[in-house]
Amino acid sequence: MTALTIEAAGFKQIAVEDFRITDEPYYLPIKDEVELFETAYERRIPVLLKGPTGAGKTRFVEYMSWRLHNRDARSHEEGVPLITVACHEDLTASDLVGRYLLEGDETRWIDGPISRAAKVGAICYLDEIVEARKDTTVLIHPLTDYRRLLPVEKRGELLEAADGFLLVMSYNPGYQSALKDLKHSTRQRFIAIEFGYPPRDAEAEIIQVESGVDPAIAQDLAKLAEKVRNLKEHGLGEGVSTRLLVYAGKLIAGGISPRRACQVGVVWALTDDAEVQRSIEEVVTSIFDE
Amino acid sequence: MTLSSDLSIRYGPELRGFGASLPDDFSSALSALESRMGAEDLERWAKDGVALANHSLRSWEAAAEYFRASPQIVDRLGADGVHAWVETAMRLAASSSLMAAAFLKATPDALGILKTEELETWAGQGERLCRGNWKSIALAALYFQVSPSLLRSLPLGSVGRLVDIVDQLTERSYELANTCLESSPTIFAGLAEDDREPFLRFARAVTRASWADTRLYFDRGPRLLEHVSADQRAAFLDLSARVTTEVGRQGFPLFADAADALSRIALEDHSDLLDFASRLAPGSPTSAMEYLKSAPFMRTRLNDQQMEQWREAGLEILLAERNPEGAEAFFRLESTRAEEMMRALSSRVELASINSMLRMYAKALSGEPVSVLSAEDLVDQNIGWVTESSATTEGSAIYLPPFVSTFEEQDANFQVYKVFTTHQTARMEFGSFRYRWNRDGVFTPATMAARETTAKERRTTAQQKERAEAVTSIQRFFNCFDDRTLIAGLFTIVEDTRVDSYVSREYGGIRRWLRRLQEWEAERRPKVEEMALRTAFVENLLRESLGRPDTIRWPVAFREYLAQGLQALKIVEQETASVQDSAEVAATLYDIATAIPNIVAPLSDGKYEWDGPTEEMLSLQPGMPSGAEGPDMQPSDQEMQFENPPQPEFRGDFKPELVQLLARLKNQVEGDQDGAMAPLTKEQIMEMLENSVELSIAEWAEGDIDQSLGMFLENMEQAAQQAPGDKKPDDDQKGGQQQEGGKGDGGDGELPIEIEWSYYDEWDFRAGDYRPRWTRVGERYGKEEDSEFYEETLRKYHGLVMETRKQFEMMRPEAFKKIKRLEDGEELDLDLAIEFSIDKKAGVGPSARIYNRRNKLERDVAVAFLLDMSASTDEEIEKQRVKHDASDDADDNFDGDPRRYFQWLAARRAKAMVEPPKRIIDLEKESTVLIVEALEAIGDSYGIYGFSGYGRENVEFHVIKDLKEQKDDHVLKRIGSIEPIRSTRMGPAIRHTIHKLDEYDAKVKILILVSDGRPQDHGYGRDRTEKEYAVHDTKQALNEAKRLGITPFLITVDKEGHDYLKQMCDDIGYEVVDDIESLPRRLPTLYRHLAAD
Repeated sequence: MTALTIEAAGFKQIAVEDFRITDEPYYLPIKDEVELFETAYERRIPVLLKGPTGAGKTRFVEYMSWRLHNRDARSHEEGVPLITVACHEDLTASDLVGRYLLEGDETRWIDGPISRAAKVGAICYLDEIVEARKDTTVLIHPLTDYRRLLPVEKRGELLEAADGFLLVMSYNPGYQSALKDLKHSTRQRFIAIEFGYPPRDAEAEIIQVESGVDPAIAQDLAKLAEKVRNLKEHGLGEGVSTRLLVYAGKLIAGGISPRRACQVGVVWALTDDAEVQRSIEEVVTSIFDE
Repeated sequence: MTLSSDLSIRYGPELRGFGASLPDDFSSALSALESRMGAEDLERWAKDGVALANHSLRSWEAAAEYFRASPQIVDRLGADGVHAWVETAMRLAASSSLMAAAFLKATPDALGILKTEELETWAGQGERLCRGNWKSIALAALYFQVSPSLLRSLPLGSVGRLVDIVDQLTERSYELANTCLESSPTIFAGLAEDDREPFLRFARAVTRASWADTRLYFDRGPRLLEHVSADQRAAFLDLSARVTTEVGRQGFPLFADAADALSRIALEDHSDLLDFASRLAPGSPTSAMEYLKSAPFMRTRLNDQQMEQWREAGLEILLAERNPEGAEAFFRLESTRAEEMMRALSSRVELASINSMLRMYAKALSGEPVSVLSAEDLVDQNIGWVTESSATTEGSAIYLPPFVSTFEEQDANFQVYKVFTTHQTARMEFGSFRYRWNRDGVFTPATMAARETTAKERRTTAQQKERAEAVTSIQRFFNCFDDRTLIAGLFTIVEDTRVDSYVSREYGGIRRWLRRLQEWEAERRPKVEEMALRTAFVENLLRESLGRPDTIRWPVAFREYLAQGLQALKIVEQETASVQDSAEVAATLYDIATAIPNIVAPLSDGKYEWDGPTEEMLSLQPGMPSGAEGPDMQPSDQEMQFENPPQPEFRGDFKPELVQLLARLKNQVEGDQDGAMAPLTKEQIMEMLENSVELSIAEWAEGDIDQSLGMFLENMEQAAQQAPGDKKPDDDQKGGQQQEGGKGDGGDGELPIEIEWSYYDEWDFRAGDYRPRWTRVGERYGKEEDSEFYEETLRKYHGLVMETRKQFEMMRPEAFKKIKRLEDGEELDLDLAIEFSIDKKAGVGPSARIYNRRNKLERDVAVAFLLDMSASTDEEIEKQRVKHDASDDADDNFDGDPRRYFQWLAARRAKAMVEPPKRIIDLEKESTVLIVEALEAIGDSYGIYGFSGYGRENVEFHVIKDLKEQKDDHVLKRIGSIEPIRSTRMGPAIRHTIHKLDEYDAKVKILILVSDGRPQDHGYGRDRTEKEYAVHDTKQALNEAKRLGITPFLITVDKEGHDYLKQMCDDIGYEVVDDIESLPRRLPTLYRHLAAD
């Protein structure tokens, strides 16, 4: 993928700051999100991506990273890298910023992903930010405003973010509970781009391209998605994601019957409630003939 | 002188003393007998007569009968026989001369049937009935009187058995005995010979079991028997006799019900049914009867083979499991096993079992919060969607028939439901109700404005009354046409065609079943050749719409009309056709249809040769035909009233006019009108409804139309106000202000209490099975009084409140789960420790927070309190105590000093005035207040419910505070209003509470039942005195709670509580609070123990 790939023992290892998207990821713009993001990037405004799971947030970041990389590659020799951090509840500040490690009798400082991103001017994508501990989210505050500084407490330093650096976070409001909500001091440092489910035709196109299933089936899957999403709050916590539909499409393309593929790829994946399952299965059998 | 005149002279004067006619009777008998008897015999005969006359006070009447009857029987009996006969009469006369007379009088007729030697037995049977009092004499006389006709249908032995029955009845009521005996000849004459003995046997059994039923049996039995196949009556009677011997009092009612049930079954099936019943009878006679009773119901659901499987299962319960009670419940259809078995076997699908699934299905498809209801409900609502069996929708709810049994296979019938639902949701999804006035369709330009002008002109010319301004778009559309029935019918067909095309395109999976139903319908269409031409035209369009153009039949001569019609219909089958297109197509079809006279085509006339459509007609390109062009058809005199052909079942009723109206009314209620629309007046709606063809006003009583419409209107408004399905008061559409007054604000009493009904099974311990959906629990919010009671209690128990609150606060967990990064703790965090040492080495200020601590798990408890609100809680506690204490106080302490006694009495009365006597319910309420305070301190979720009611259909469930609700003013007010009501049917109340707890998300769930006595209710047991049933059901309900991970606990203030609680609770915790007044103190303590572990 990139020049610095180390080929050893048959597997690839890439340093996080060197990871760049060089092949165009498939992304179908739904509204003006591409334009918005580009502009935000130019003006270095941090971006918050909101939306349900599987709606394409991560794919969008990858796509934008590729796009910016391609656009800026002429001026920047190496373009814009993408550093992704999946947040979890034990994620600490030093996990992000960096820590000392023992090496023989010595200690050595190792940068965390956010420090690396700040240094190389990468897009730093914090996925599912609400999962992270609250003290870690505060850490990024100085990075996100005009200061563009990262305090490295243990070394007693301040790290100035390189020019290309941008912080992007994603967040699923569907999980919203009092415990897992974003602090206002954090959320008000970002512009927010909402990710809904794509409209039927667009979704059908996505499914078709991603799974390689034929257009009629893709259209039916998109239709199914629309119907199932009608059940949100009426038995389902969350609508079916485009990702699941793509999976179902892939199964179908692989020769599984559509009804069965939807059963395992949509119905069972969505819920454990027998009655809701049955209802959705009936929708499936209404739409698919076999 | 002849012997006869000699005798006449000799005895005549003596007889003259008895009555005018006696000597005449004597002499005419004499002259008749003279030639047939010897002198000596005649002499003896005469002497006997005189002796009889002299025998007792009124025995001369008997003598008269003797004289009259003798000539008729002398040849048969001979002289000695006559003598013996009169001697018998003398004996009878010793008891009663009236009886003797009846005997003598009946003898000639009786002898027509009886053998001579039987005469004595016959007399003896009558004599047996006579007990000396006048009632018994009359009865005995009646016996002789009816004997001749009775004997014609019954042999003497059987008559004897009848006499036994009658005799037994006399112990209770002579009147009853009389009636039965009197009716016997007719009854037995009406019965077939082989049935008479069985009838008697059953009669004997009934009399023994319940004498009063004998009359009913004699009265109704023969008619009931007529329902039973003739060759099976004897068997049925014998079965009934057996059952009656077994079950006693219930015997006759069972017989009557079973006979009634048999009347609903084809005669040829009776033998099979009764054969099976007789297999059941030895083990459980009641089961046999219950089986017969259930048979008609079962037949509507199962075919012969399935029926066989079903009953064999019941038989197995009886024989293999040796559980007669279980078999009984099974055949009575009051056991879950029976119902499950039936459901598994039957191909019929009930809406109730798939309702909630279909609701979600419909929601998914339409994207709207629709509910699925039984069409029966709609009939009840009386909104004029009149037919019970067809599907329809009113925009927010889909109404489906209560069951479907169209096909043989269960799955197919389920698919029928799916097609029904899909078609109805498709109407919403594809916009059947979204017609807008005069908008262009996708394929057709709008012509409605022009049509409206023409229609107005036409009406002015014809000097017809102009129609009032339309309330809805669709009404305005219909108003453009003179024949509303026709346009409504056409619009329905066109729109259904459009919707079906959409469904076929969009839902590939349903297509097959839609086709199958279309086929099914197409095969059941009425004969088109017999219809009037215009109706036939519409019918043919319908057939095309069902996808069966091959079934179209139409006069060859007028092909042009149909060709145009079919062409127009094709327009809406295209992919993006909208409801506007449907309206325009319907309008064009209307033009074509009105050009066709509605006459019955003369078959002989060659002109009306019927034929299928040509290929050309069916392959026409979509495009609006120009309108009515074709051979001229002269309107004829015999034109008939137009009627639409019947609507296919799967499409259900289509009522766009009402739906739009309802939607507008709803908006009006909700207050979010489109601004431009003024609120509807009652007159406008009335006007619209009167014109609408979607209502069958004809079915309402004539002359009552105004009233009916008024009623209809009210129902509509109600329906508009309450969207079916979401009945929760919270999301009521009325504005916020009203909401504050809120649910059950009782104060003004205007809002009716909203009751939500749920059904629960009940445990029948005898059958060892549940009775399905046996009880109905009505949940409602408790009334609200004022919160004074609450505050008062807090004041009164101030100290206790503080104490319990403190105790409860101590239970509150300090923190949650594992706490990381502590300076001191139970365990070392390895990662942090390493980091610490690295940091130390690197010379960076290390963090010493490297310990973890594990705290007790997060407290997550939900508790539901269930309070007994039965009438018995009304009992005063003071009174109870006074009963015990009175002796001490009155006798001992006053030392017989009346002044002190009166002082005491006055003081007590004064106290009673200030403090009204305390009742059990008051203590329950006070305890509630305390526990509420305590629980608020600890932060556990809690619900408080009260229950009472009467009978299984009406278990009242009062919500004082729902689990999900916060403690607020309403709750406090509701606590104040807890009052004793009626009975204590614990089982269903517990089950309903379980249901609530089960839906609530908590780790620990507790159910605490506070009662004052044993479970008791009307019909909560075999009879009033039985206690077992209720106890078992309650126990079962408590076990259900345990199975769901809920900890049940019982508290009772009933001192005898130990007796049944031991049985009821097995390993379930319970406590008998001996000192009732300690309840408020005890309850929080108990809770603490319960919720602690």
